[in-house]
Order: sequence, then C-alpha cells, then structure tokens
Amino acid sequence: MNNRKLLPTTVVGSYPKPNWLRRLIREYEKGEISNKIMRRAYDDAVKAVVKEQELAGVDILWDGEMRRDEMTSYFARRIEGFTIYGEVRVWGNNYYPKPAIIDELRYRDELAVSDYKFLRRITDHEIKIPITGPYTLVDWSFNEYYRTREEAVYALAEVINQELRRLAEAGASYIQIDDPAIPTHPEEIEVAKNSIEIVTREVNAYIGIHICYGDYSKIYPEILEFNVDQIDLEFANRNFKDIGIFKDYEFTKDLGFGCVDVHTRRIESVEEIKDNIRKAFSIVKPERVYVDPDCGLKLLSSEVAFKKLRNMCQAAREIREELEG
Amino acid sequence: MSRIIPTVLGSYPRPPWFREYLRKVEGLQKEGGRAMDEATYAKAVGEVIREQRDAGIKLFTDGQLLWHDLLCHLATKIDGFEMNGLIRYFDNNLYYRIPKIKAKLERRRSIVVDEFRVAYSIEHEMKTVLSCFTLASLSEDEFYHDKSELVMDIAHIMNQEAKELVRNGAKYIQIDEPSLLYAEKEDMNVMKDAIEVIRRGVDAKFFLVTYFRDAERIFPEVLDFNVDVIGLDFVEGYEKNFELLREYDMDKEVQAGVVDGRTTKMEDKEQVKQKIRAIHDAVNGETLYVSPNTGLEFLPYIKASEKLKVLCNSVGDIQ
Repeated sequence: MNNRKLLPTTVVGSYPKPNWLRRLIREYEKGEISNKIMRRAYDDAVKAVVKEQELAGVDILWDGEMRRDEMTSYFARRIEGFTIYGEVRVWGNNYYPKPAIIDELRYRDELAVSDYKFLRRITDHEIKIPITGPYTLVDWSFNEYYRTREEAVYALAEVINQELRRLAEAGASYIQIDDPAIPTHPEEIEVAKNSIEIVTREVNAYIGIHICYGDYSKIYPEILEFNVDQIDLEFANRNFKDIGIFKDYEFTKDLGFGCVDVHTRRIESVEEIKDNIRKAFSIVKPERVYVDPDCGLKLLSSEVAFKKLRNMCQAAREIREELEG
Repeated sequence: MSRIIPTVLGSYPRPPWFREYLRKVEGLQKEGGRAMDEATYAKAVGEVIREQRDAGIKLFTDGQLLWHDLLCHLATKIDGFEMNGLIRYFDNNLYYRIPKIKAKLERRRSIVVDEFRVAYSIEHEMKTVLSCFTLASLSEDEFYHDKSELVMDIAHIMNQEAKELVRNGAKYIQIDEPSLLYAEKEDMNVMKDAIEVIRRGVDAKFFLVTYFRDAERIFPEVLDFNVDVIGLDFVEGYEKNFELLREYDMDKEVQAGVVDGRTTKMEDKEQVKQKIRAIHDAVNGETLYVSPNTGLEFLPYIKASEKLKVLCNSVGDIQ
C-alpha cells in the first residue's frame, strides 16, 4: 500500500472469544437470549478485542471474527444456494457443519459490510477484512448442483466479488481472501487463479491472499500469477523450513510473513521474533514485508494471544527502528 | 443361486448425540483414558445398525463408531506405536494422526473384539474391519526399516485378532487396504504372504477392500491372494475397474462400491441399477456384494441412510 510505514503489523483474522461471549452464545442458541441483546454482546466483544489489538500495538486490525463461528458455514449460511445438513469430521472428535450446494449460488445477505462499518466507527487503525475464498468454500462443501467443481467455484467467485465491491464502496481498503484449500489440489491451481481473478474484478482495494497448512512447494511460483497484492503465509508452524521454497524465483508480491506460531501456547520472546522476521528479508526486501502471526489466534487463550501479539509488535518496532536508523 | 447382497463399507457417521457424548468424554485433542460407558456405546451401535437394516442392508458393520480414522484405532491398541501429528487422509478434507513405530509391534490385548461383541449381540451378519498394509504404509517406521518385516508383524497381530473375533462369532472379516492401490509390485508379494498369515487357522470369509481410485496396480497379482472377496471402487475407478473385471477371469466374489460415499448428491436409481447389472454380468452372475465406494463417515448423519436407500432400492429392483 502507498505511504505506509515499514513492517506494518497485522493479524490474520480471528482472536479468542471472551469467555462471557461464549457463554452468551450458548444461551442464545438455546433461545434464552434475544437477538437484540446478542447483537449488543457481539458489539461489546468487538470493542474489547479491538482494544486488545490496539494495546498490543497492531497496526492493521480486524474485529477478531467475534460474530463468525467458523470460516465455511458462516458464509454458506448467507449465500443463496447453500444448505447445511449436518456436521462431518475433520479429525478425531472435531467436526464442522459442512455446507452443500443444492441450487444456483447467488448473492443474498451481505457477508462483512456491516461488520466493517461498525469497526470503522470504533477504531482509527487501518482495517483488514478477511473473507474465505470461493475455491476453499467449494472444496469444503458438497456439490449437488453444478456439473463440475470448476463451475461451482466460478459461480461462487461472482458472489464473493459482489461483496468485495460493496466493501470497497463502503471504504474498505484492504481485503484478505482466505484460501487454505488451494495447495491441497495443486492440479487445480488454474481454477483457483481464475477464481481470484473473478473475485477481485473491479475491486478498488489492496488484496491479500492467506494460505496456511499446505505444501507451498506445490503452488510456488504459480501463486505469483494470482491477481493479488500480497501473499500471506505461515512460516513459524514448520519452523521456517519453507523459506527455501521461495528463493528459486523472485517473489514479486508483498509478503505477509507468519512469524509467530499459533499452535503452541509458548510465548515467543521479542528477540526470537526479531530473528524470525529477519528471515523474511531473504525472500523480499523489508519494504514488502507485513508482519503477522501464522494464522488466526482463536485457539489460544486471550492472555496468550495478547502476549504473542504484543511481543510480535515490539519485535517489528525494534527492527523498524534499526532499519530506519 | 446368484445373489446381490447390499452391504456397507465400514464407517457410519456417529449419531449426533453420540458425537457430542464422545466430544465430552474424550475431549477434542488426543485420546486419554476413555471412560466409555458400554450401555451408551451399545445404544449408538444399535441405532446405526437399525439405520442400515431399515435401508435394506443385508451384511452390516458396527459403523466403526469409536474409530477416529482407519489407523489410530488400531495403532493405539498395539504396543510399539506412538501417535504423532496430523496429516491429510488421501484426497479428503479429513486428517489423521500419524502412527509412529518405535518398537517391535505386539498385541497384548484385543483390538476391536469388545466392539464386535456389542454389535454381534444385536446383529449376527456383521463384518469386522481390520487393516494391515495400509497401517504399515501410512505409519512412520523408526524401528523395522524393512517394510516386509513390518507388514508381516502386523499380519501376525491381525491373525491373533481374527482368531479371537471368530471365537466370538465373527464370520466375515474385511481387510481395508486403500494404500495397496499405490503399492509397488514387490509390495504385492509381501501382502500375498501377509494374507496367508492373517488367515491361518481362521474360519471366516475374508474381504480385501480397496477404494479412492481404480485397482489397476494390483491386477492381476491380487487374484492370487487367498481372499474370498475383492472390494473395488466403481465410483472413482469405474471404467478401469470394469475393464479389469472383463479382462481377468475372477474366481473370487466382488464387493462393488457403486454409490459415492463422499457426496450428499444422490445417484439416479436407474443409473445405479445399470451399473450393478453390468458388474453382475461381468462377474458371470456370481454372488455380488454392492456397497458405497467408501465408508459413510464423510456424510452428515441424515444423509448416510438416504445414500444406503438409493443403493438398496436399486438392488431390490434387479432381484
């Protein structure tokens, strides 16, 4: 983005929900709380986690996904053509409500515009809006309606594109497409690429794509062809082993550099994170680096999430000062 | 007298209340000591057997309701395994914990016998699922450093398990081997010997079942395996598997996966009927088992029985 400071810090999206909010959600699901009270509770939770992110020193933030239960069904419930029959296993005792496409996919409810507008009113910080990409939404859904996966992906891309245009019109300047399913089917990378082309068509905003959990060697350098400004990846989770993958071809996008591990409760020290951030400079020059955790923070406790973010922001600040002399 | 027998592959989605129950007693992370209440388990098994029966299934499974995946349920009960991080299970949005082999594998207690007893008390026509080559292939071996030795040790363990199953009434034992479809030719020799070991002294009908792709790599060697039934995936590998059936003279029965266990889209009954008829002809009218191509755990609970009804109604129309 233009005129921004060096090494801006950001988040991938989710933040731990306060315990009181979890309890209210359970009561709401039992019908014990009205819509109005629940809406106020979400608003209050957003204010709280925004404040936490600000205190931690995050430059570009989001609302912690307080209103979202999960990254697939949350969107599917708001798009015409989806239904949800029930939950299926991801692993062990972990399940998710897997959507099914049963009709033509069409834009129905807004996905993030009012969340964005609310957030805009309560913070002066720059805002990043994460939305799950059409490729991943289709990959994680059943397809009963479209002849091929490809057709389903493109139809959904049109729907997401409408939302992105609305977001940009509302003033959003930075949107992140979450697409972790892309590396699981490298043979379909053209479909994924085309879907991003559709999603970003005539959207006047800075666009990032976030991909975690995958084998990056299967999608690099092809991912550089995607119509995005930034590619945001996890590095701490696999102990920065993946850095080598990105050295064979010039990295021509901005790099969102996941430098804090969200799968461990251990709080990395400022010194350790500084070492981590410097590793990014072997891929791109510092002017192209955004500093963030590997992924959303929702699986951590609030306390651990805050401390990780605070140390990350401190580390970025110190390197920034060193670089600017 | 030729017959077409509708059956299931193995897994059935957990009834939602049982899923919640397991989430509570086991937690979301690694299994600790399982404080499983047998009556609760029996109730859940009873429900999935009833679902199968109501759909028209004639050869049942217990739905593998306690299994988190094909591997860890076996591996956690065999000495010598340790469980490791998560990895993607074939081409599915489903992950399993990688079993790591740290010592010589030994069976010090039964593996699935307790579960079998519960299911058998409800329904006698019960198939039990085990695995050998796939368990060996998808584990990280830090002890044997010799695949055939590893496979043979697992085969001995499965033989002990099969014997105990038969003592408890089992008549049908299914060996699930999706990894065999990725095997090298020398692996096929190892597996042929392994099957001999697994069967030794076991009076039961043996199924060797494959899925997720066509079976080109295991033909014709698999025809020499000492099994009674070969399971093939006629959704993912339809054309190729059909060719194989026509090309080779099968002296075994076939279990054909003819409806897609991984999509909520329901097949057209006429098309399923045609498929079954064609396969039945290709096996010269021998007894044919038909099933979904995979376990049904990929489906939401309410869709599993619907899928089985598509299967069973197609069979009913043929006979």
